[in-house]
Amino acid sequence: MRKALEALNSLEREGVLGRYAVGGATAATFYIEPVLTFDLDVFVALPFKEGLLTLAPLYDALRDRGYQEAGECVDIEGVPVQFLPVYNPLLEEALAEAVDVLYEATPTRVLRAEHLVAICVQTGREKDRERVRLFRAEADLDMDRLLGILGRHNLEEKWRQWTS
Amino acid sequence: MAAVDELAPEIARLFHAKEERRRKLAALPWPDKVRAVVTLQRMAVPLLKNRDPRAQVWRIEEDDRD
Repeated sequence: MRKALEALNSLEREGVLGRYAVGGATAATFYIEPVLTFDLDVFVALPFKEGLLTLAPLYDALRDRGYQEAGECVDIEGVPVQFLPVYNPLLEEALAEAVDVLYEATPTRVLRAEHLVAICVQTGREKDRERVRLFRAEADLDMDRLLGILGRHNLEEKWRQWTS
Repeated sequence: MAAVDELAPEIARLFHAKEERRRKLAALPWPDKVRAVVTLQRMAVPLLKNRDPRAQVWRIEEDDRD
């Protein structure tokens, strides 16, 4: 995991990818009990190429470094990494406000707990609902921040349905 | 927790202990929790590998022991 994060930092330093942050279950595990996952979700800002948002230059650069594609993911130092370009305003905000943390001595970034909860609400699958339950039970959520995010992204009604 | 408290005392104690264990797990350092995820993967892969091609164990032990 440390080597995978070091590889991501190197890609960011070299400008292959823009700002990145860990999301999904691995980021959730930063705040709550460990939850089973098989891939590392990495949200990235990608440069637009001819008006298109494309992962192709990133995948080319990864291939040049010897990292092979495996389905939707790229195997980076033993960890299947799924790169997810930020594709809506909630994800853009989540990436911009991601927090700097250390994995052992390796610097990286994770999405804030409140953004992870809002993304679960927006995505809306059964497993997202269960994850929201775990966040509410185990994480130290800043409710003012969370309610602000839910309001800005029109997710209040769904939040009420899930939590009433 | 009110509903749990209405259970027989022994059952309520078990539920409380389970909640307490989950809170302790949540408080572990992130690398320890990632190692726990890998343990979960080892348990799950034999059950899932035939129906979920993504199911594989991360190969991170060596790099995390450096």
